[in-house]
This record gives sequence, structure tokens and C-alpha cells, in this order.
Amino acid sequence: MHNGHNGEALAASPEEVTQDILRKHREFTPRFKALVAVLAVLFLLGVVGFIIRLQDGFEHRVKWGYYAAVVVYLLTTAQAAPMVAIAPRLAKANWRRPVSRAAEMFGVVGLFNLLLFIPLLFLLPSTEGRRTIWFDGPSMSPHIWDTLAMVFLVLCGLAMLWAGSLPDMAAARDHSSGRRQGLFAKLAMGWRGTDLQWFLIRHRIGALASLYFMFLVFTHFLIASDFVLGLVPGWKDSIFPAFQALSALQSSIATMLVTMFVLRKWCGYERYIGLEQFWALSKLLLATSLLWFYFWWSGFIIFWYGRQPVEQNVISLIISGPYLPIFFTTFILNFIIPLVLLIWNAVRRSILGPTVVGCSILVGTFFDRIRLYVSAFSIEDVTAHALTVVPPAHTPDIADILIIIGALSGAGLSYALATKVFPVVNIWEIKEYMLLRVQAAFHRMEVTILAKPE
Amino acid sequence: MQQRVSLEDRQINRDLLRGVLEHPLWWFALVGFVGLVLLAGVISTGYMITKGIGVTGLNRPVMWGFFITNFVFWVGISHAGVMISAILRLTQAEWRRPVTRAAEVLTVFALMTAALHPVIHTGRPWRLLYWAFPYDFSRGIFVNVRSPLIWDPSAIFTYLTGSSLFVFVALLPDLAVLRDRTTGIVHHVYSVLCLGWRGTPKQWKLQTVAGILLSALILPVFVSVHSIVSWDFAVATSVEAWHSTIFAPYFVIGAVHSGVSAVVTMMALMRWLWKWDKYIRPEHFDALGRLLIVVSTTWFFFFFLEVLFGIYGQESPEIALREMQIFQWPWSMLFIIFLLTAYFIPVPLWLFPKVRRSITLMFWTSILVNIGMWLERFLIIVPGLARKQPLTFSWGTYHPSIIEILIVAASFALVAFLLLIFSKVFPLIPLFEQKEGQLFAKELRVGRKKVPAVIREE
Amino acid sequence: MAQQSEHKWGMVIDLDKCIGCQACVIACQAENNVPLNTEEIFNQKRAIEWIRVERYWEGEFPNVKARFLPVLCQHCENAPCEPVCPVYATYHNQEGLNVQVYNRCVGTRYCQNNCPYHVRFFNYWTPQWPESLRNQLNPDVTVRSRGIMEKCTFCIQRIRRTTRNAKREGRKLEDGLLQPACAQACPTSTLTFGDLNDPDSKVSQLAKNSRNYKLLEKLGTDPNVIYLKKVDPKAAEELHA
Repeated sequence: MHNGHNGEALAASPEEVTQDILRKHREFTPRFKALVAVLAVLFLLGVVGFIIRLQDGFEHRVKWGYYAAVVVYLLTTAQAAPMVAIAPRLAKANWRRPVSRAAEMFGVVGLFNLLLFIPLLFLLPSTEGRRTIWFDGPSMSPHIWDTLAMVFLVLCGLAMLWAGSLPDMAAARDHSSGRRQGLFAKLAMGWRGTDLQWFLIRHRIGALASLYFMFLVFTHFLIASDFVLGLVPGWKDSIFPAFQALSALQSSIATMLVTMFVLRKWCGYERYIGLEQFWALSKLLLATSLLWFYFWWSGFIIFWYGRQPVEQNVISLIISGPYLPIFFTTFILNFIIPLVLLIWNAVRRSILGPTVVGCSILVGTFFDRIRLYVSAFSIEDVTAHALTVVPPAHTPDIADILIIIGALSGAGLSYALATKVFPVVNIWEIKEYMLLRVQAAFHRMEVTILAKPE
Repeated sequence: MQQRVSLEDRQINRDLLRGVLEHPLWWFALVGFVGLVLLAGVISTGYMITKGIGVTGLNRPVMWGFFITNFVFWVGISHAGVMISAILRLTQAEWRRPVTRAAEVLTVFALMTAALHPVIHTGRPWRLLYWAFPYDFSRGIFVNVRSPLIWDPSAIFTYLTGSSLFVFVALLPDLAVLRDRTTGIVHHVYSVLCLGWRGTPKQWKLQTVAGILLSALILPVFVSVHSIVSWDFAVATSVEAWHSTIFAPYFVIGAVHSGVSAVVTMMALMRWLWKWDKYIRPEHFDALGRLLIVVSTTWFFFFFLEVLFGIYGQESPEIALREMQIFQWPWSMLFIIFLLTAYFIPVPLWLFPKVRRSITLMFWTSILVNIGMWLERFLIIVPGLARKQPLTFSWGTYHPSIIEILIVAASFALVAFLLLIFSKVFPLIPLFEQKEGQLFAKELRVGRKKVPAVIREE
Repeated sequence: MAQQSEHKWGMVIDLDKCIGCQACVIACQAENNVPLNTEEIFNQKRAIEWIRVERYWEGEFPNVKARFLPVLCQHCENAPCEPVCPVYATYHNQEGLNVQVYNRCVGTRYCQNNCPYHVRFFNYWTPQWPESLRNQLNPDVTVRSRGIMEKCTFCIQRIRRTTRNAKREGRKLEDGLLQPACAQACPTSTLTFGDLNDPDSKVSQLAKNSRNYKLLEKLGTDPNVIYLKKVDPKAAEELHA
């Protein structure tokens, strides 16, 4: 059967599963230590880059374009990744169970990204004299509200992660001793597995999940409106915030596919994460990639057809002008490659295929953020009536490259460290899955029977 | 909470063929009533075509009014079928089974009705030849493919073809059942229609594959149809209110919102009229209600973006337009009704499982949604035109004439009429889906509880 | 793009000269067989006026000033009405004119929706003239039936006749010889018509005036009708510029 890998795990006894995952959770392998060391060094390089950048001060927004791009990139990929746990959970899809924790743990990266977000606030001009979504509100509105949204999103992500891992914390508590036990006992908040506790955890996760989803979209709406649309005079584009949110959904799946691949290949979780997850996610990835094109095209055709000078200039700024090669790269990586590869069931139903597409999208989205944020940041006069001159492309310098490396490895580092606090594979959800799923004979076939509790 | 009942195949046949084989009085009464309204619309159309478009309330700034609003509305309703049948089939949602046929048929009839509107709207239907069937090479010109009005008929006819095939493929097994239960000429008609269906494993396989293929192929068409309808408006640079990039997804999700609500309305009616309580159950309304919460909230987000970025530029015509749309009597009243009915009454209600499981409440909320969605299109189309560009001298307003109102009413009658006729000829709930669903339904014992389960289709 | 042709017809409208007398409107009506606009039709906002004089009030009582703005089809080089017509009933010809082909029109009315200047008109009824006016109809101009869009043609019948005659007689077309009805009727020579391709023509000279602007320029329609601002320091910045 296609999901043989999962079948193997599900055939084991629940206690065996707990033991196995907790052992992996506990171990500090040499490989893990090496990874942490490398990431830490790279992160320090990023800090150096950031200090170099700080020497330029905050007057020239364009110099910070790549910094903004990488912050928003983390917002679109890592901070969106919990969606892979949220959406199927709300839709009661069972395949999510082994990967839901891995997805929720990206909430920790959100905390790291929140730190990176702070300098951006110094770069955002006041709203006076320009068109923003804040109209005549206080001139610091975007600074305040964008920060609040980011903070809330991160808090919500962490709360969801914690709430969803209480039973596993309790398991870790029960399977450890000494100071470790004390720590996990604290984290488990007295979890005993009573009916009431189970009832509460379900409702809490459900509520936090919906809240996270809405706040993710809302944060993207604010960031896209304030850091891109608001900085380009005369650019009036109602789909743009939605496009960025959709791009985040697409990237969340890509992020998770790559994470799952890493967990399978190098962290020894191949018993739990198998074809079933890759297959389900690759279908969603195909759908979101098609939607990516659809949202992009819906915006583009209106501007292109309308022939208004302002809109022609905006197209030139972000698509056909100085950033054309970057746009082409994005377009190929985010749409053409996913389409060409994922329409084949054989590719969707494999481990490697979806991972390759996931990597392609992760790279493509990075270029996409550069195209949008660097170009928006390179506009000098934000109070003009309309965009009349398209600024030339801004190329990254050494500090930008260091910052990019540092930010990405910092994100990786925070995730790696978090795996030692929370088990990266969800124990209780897998055990629940084992109860709800039965292989049985049906006429002359063997089929899977899935229980659908209300 | 699920109330599954196990039924014998024979009983399923008997119950679901009730619409075709029995002839209750209410059916004739309904057809008669609906037919009268339809007749009024046909007469009005004839009158308009002989006298001229002058009999409508249209004028210079407002060149598109009730007909185009209604056109968009019916294209929107037609998104029900694919949403329910194709998407839910591909995502293996079990609860789709009793709903599919009704949704697909609604799609086809709504689309046919929608396609009539542009023809009526031009006032000289015979000129359609130059437009939608542009094979008049004697003049040396082909149609203007740059015009969204050419994309429109292409998309609509593709969608109509696709969804008719969809209905037909899903009908085959049921047609065979009907063939076996009828005599005389009717028997022969069903024999021809069911294409020699014998229910062999090969036929079943082909039918399933065809269904899945059609689902996948029709999805892009489904998205494109309403996107193109939205581009009729959005590419018009001169009408600021229409020139919004969000329009395509906004219209598509709005269409799903109104289409799925229309399916809810239809399901409630089917349950009441044919007493199909065992087939259309509260859990189906529950599932549709959940779907609708997600769909309508996405729709509302897009609506919010549309309004926000409408006034974002702070240009005088846009501000004037929103003033007219939101604050000026009677538009303000329509706007409030629209907001309440399309979102703020139904969606908070649907959050309660009790509401989602109450057929009466679901029926009325779904009707509200469609009142709201009709007004939504109207409030986009007309005030946008009435406040076009800063040349205030030419701004205007619009009052529909009685002729337009009659024709719009008749379009509803036409869809109802076609559905009633369909119900007399074909079963409205697919028999084979029902039986298949029963086959897949299992029960699992989890701890001390029995939990409903399904066999996973591959 | 259309190949470069000899002429590019255009018009300059000097708002400083316009007195709002509506002579252009009447002249156009008579020349082009435009149906009569009764009060009822006017109030229904269905009046057909290929050229209209928009009147705006400026200032507060008692310091109220009337501002006049003659608006006719702007014959945009980049006309929004053209791409949206499904049957090519309106297209751009090589002489800078936006032309309407009556017998191709099916009546979708999309062109008027997409016209920012509100200068395209739909025949809601079959046009009718009182018996006394039957003989007044211009034989050079088609009478449009109902269900058809129509608009200013820059009096194309005159353009054709004059250029044809000049060609036949082998002389160059003299500037000022060719006048649409509205420009001819204007008592204050507010409207100047001519060939924008000819650098010496009066219209080209006037178009270079520092007061020049185009209506709704931000839409990028690139009209062939150029307006000259009113010479009045107190005049509000033209809101439609």
C-alpha cells in the first residue's frame, strides 16, 4: 500500500511510539550539535552584517530593502507554516497528525522574526502627506498596529504550540527524571488526561487555530499595505495584500514539505512521516500554486489592460522593469515548476518530488519578496501623487548578504533548539490516529476504514 | 450526532424515484404558478424587444442595470454545482452524496438563464449572431478578442458544456434504473439516454474515471467563468468603482457563497416537497453550514479589501460613489440590507450547531444570503456607473422599470420551472451515490464508543 | 499601430472664450441628424448630444460664477472604448479619429461604460422627427436606428468631402477650410479644428499654449482634444484636469 511507512508506525503499540519519539527528543546527537554550531556561526555573521548596516543609519530606506525582504520572507514562510497544522485540523483531515507539531513549532521562529522586525519600524515614514490604509489617523498608526499584529501573531502561535503539546509534555514528564522531569512537569501544567482536560485542549486548539489563521492573513494584509503599497505613490491594488497572504499559504506548505523531508531523512522520523503526508500536502501545494498564478494574474491583467500611466509604472516597477529577471525567476519557481511537476500523480505520490517543488517555491518566494520589498523601499519620494519615475534596481552589498544568511540561519537555529523542548512529532495525535484507523478486508480488497468522530 | 439510517437498495429506489413516478397535485400547481410568472417575463421581453430598450430605466451614465446584475447573479449561482460536486468529490467529502445532482442541475439551469441575459440586455437579440457566433466572414472581420465580452460567451459556453456532461455522466446509472421501471415510449427514451448501461464493473470504472476527470478539468473553467465576468467590470478603467484588482477572486468566492446557499435552499425544499428526510439529513446542512462560514468570511475579507482600496486613493468620484452607495437614500437602505443579509445575520447564526442542524433556519438564512448577494452585484454595478469620473455634470441615477422587474422575476421562475420539469424526468438525488455511500459507511468501536467511519476511496 | 497618415485631426477648446451659448450643440444636432431631445428625454438622462456644454457653479452666493466646459468625444489615441467592444464597432482610424461603425454595433453599451467622458450615446428608441423637420435631415449622414451607439465623428462627412475635393483639384488642404459644425457655429471661436500633423496649422499653434491641458489626463487616454485653461487667477484648479 502507498502509505506503508505510516502503516508500520501504526502497527506498533502506542507505548512503543511514545518511547521512540521521546528517545529521539532527548538525544543530542553529534549531527545535531554540529548543525547547531554551524547555524550559530552563520547567525553571528548575520549580526556582523546587521552592525555594518546600522552604520548607514535609517535615512536611506533603500539600503534596508533586502533586510525588509528577508523579514517578510520569514513571515511568509516560517510564520505561515503553522497553517499546515491548522487548516487540516479544522477540516478534520487525519493525515496531518504526525506533522502538526512540526508545523506549530515554527511559532518559535516567529519569536525570532519579531526581533528582526523592530528595525523596520524606524524605516517606515510617517503617514502624513501620503496615501495609506490609515487615512487621516494618527501619523504613527502603521508603526503601532503592525507591531501589535506581529506581537499578537507570535503570541498566538506560541500559545497554540504550547496548548497542543501539553499531553506530550506530560508524557515527557512521565518518562524522565530529575531536573528534566521538573521542567516538563512545569510545561505540562498538571496534565493528567482527564475528560475535562481533553475537552478543553480540543476547544483551545480549535480556537487558537482559527485565531492564528485570521491573524496571519490580517498581519500580511497590514505588512503588505504599509511596507509595499503605502510606499509606492499612486499604487492602488486591492488584491495585493490577499496575494501576499496566499503566497504565505503556498510557502507554508513548501516549508513543511522541506521540513518533513529533513525530519525523515536526517532525524530518523521516517516511521511516522510518510507518503500519506507528502501526497496530501503536494495536492494542496498544486492547488495553492495554481492560486498563486491566479491571484498574480488577476492583479496584473487589470493594470495591464487599463493602460493608466500610474499602473503602467507600477507594472514596470515590480514586473517588467529593472526587476524583470527576478520576476521571471519567481514566476518559474513559484508557478511553472510546481505546475509541470505536480500535475503528475507519480510525482505527487513520492517523497522527493514534492520536496523538490517545495525547495523551488522557497527560493522563488525569496526572490518574490526581493522584487516587491526592495523595489518599494527604493522609492525616494513617498508623498508624490503618482509614481512617475521607476527607480533602478538596487543590488545587495556584502552586508545585505550577511544579513540574509544570518536571518535564515537564525531562524533555523531557533527551530533546532525548539525541537529539544517540544517533541517535533506529535505523540498524542499519532496515538489518537491509531485508534481511529483500521485496516480491514472489504470484498476482495484490503481497505482503510477511518472513523469520523463528531 | 450523525443519524445514519441503513436502507435497502429497493427502498432507496422507491423513495428517490418518487419524483419521477408519482404525480402529486402540488407539482402541477407549482409548475402552473411558476409558468405564469415566466409567461409575464416572456411577454415583457417581447414588448421590450419590439419597443426598444427605452422601456427600461437605463440611461446614459447607467447603461447596465437589472439585466446585468441578474446575469452576474445567475452566473454566481451556477458555481454551486462544481463547488459541491467537483471539489467535494476530489476532497472525498462523504456528505456531498445526496447533494450532488441537485447542485449540478442547478448549475446548468442557472447558467442557461444567465446566458439569456446579455441577449435580452442588448435589446436586439438577432444581432447576437455577430457577437457570440461570429462566423460572418463576409465582412472580413472577426470578433474583437480583446473585449471581455468575447471572453464571456467563450467561458460560459465551455462551462455549460462541461457541466452538462457532468450531469449526464452522473445520470447514467440512474437512467438505467428508470429504463427498467418504465414501459412504452418512455422506456425507449430512457434506453437511448442511458447509453446501454448494464452496470458491469468496466462501465462503473469508466463512469468513475469520467467523473473524476471532469471534476478536475472543470475546476479551471469554474474559476475562469466568474473571473471573466468580474473582468467585464474590472478592466473598465473608466469606472473607478469597478477598476479593482481583487474583483476576480472576490466574485468567484462570492459566487460560491451564493451558489452554495442556493443549494441549501434547494435541499430544504427537496426535503419538504418529496419528504426525503432519510436522505437529506441535518448533518448535510451542518456540513454545508460549516463550509459556508469559511466561504463567506473569505468573501467578506475580499469585500473589505475592495471597499478599503476603493477609498484608498481618496479621489473625489470614489468618495462620491461610496457616499451614494452607503449613505444616500435609497441606496443606503439597500446597502444595509445587503450587509445584514449577506453576512451579518446568517454567519453569526451558522456558528451555532443548533442553527446549522435546523432545516427551517438554514432555509431562511440561505434565502437571506441570496437576497444579499443579489444586492451586492446591484450595488457594485449601478452606483459605480452613476458616479463615473469627475465630470459631475453627467452623473445620474437609476430606477428599474416594471418591465425589468418582471423579467428578473421571470428568470427566477425559469430556473424553478426547469428544475421542476427535470424532477419529473430524472431523479434529483442520485440513487447510485446513495447506495455507494451506504456501502462505504462503517462503524468503528473506539474504546466504549461507537464512532461512524468511512471506507476511504482511493 | 496604424500606419502614419497624412492627417491627425484634433481640436483645441479655449475655455477662456466659451460663453456657454450652446450654438455648437444646436449646429451639431442639425448637421448630424441627431434626434430631438425633448424635455422628457433630457430628464431621463437619455439625451443625445454629441457635444454638450457642461455648466459648473463656482464659489458661494453672491460671488457665484458659471464655468462652461464643452465636452465632445475626445478622439483618444488610447481610447478605452475601443478594446472593450466585442464586435469592433468602434475603432481607431489612421487619422486620429475614433470612429463608430453603426451596422456592426450590437448594443452591449460597454463602450459608454468605459468612456470616462460620457460622450457615447445609445439610441433607446427609434429616432423620430416631426413631419416639418423631415426634409431638414442631412443626406450625408446616416440616420441611426434604435439599439445603436453613436458619438461625435468630428463631422467626418465634411472631412471626407473637403479632402476629396482638394485631392481632385490637386491642391493642398488649406488650414481653416475644414470645419466641423460646432466649430463653424461658435461665435467666439472657442473651438478650433485642424490638422495636428501640420506644425503651422492654427490648431497646432494653439495646442502649444502654456494654458493647455487634457481632460482627465491621469487616465492616459491621450485625447486629440486639447483644452486651454480659463485666464482667471481666481479660477479653481480645474477639477477634471
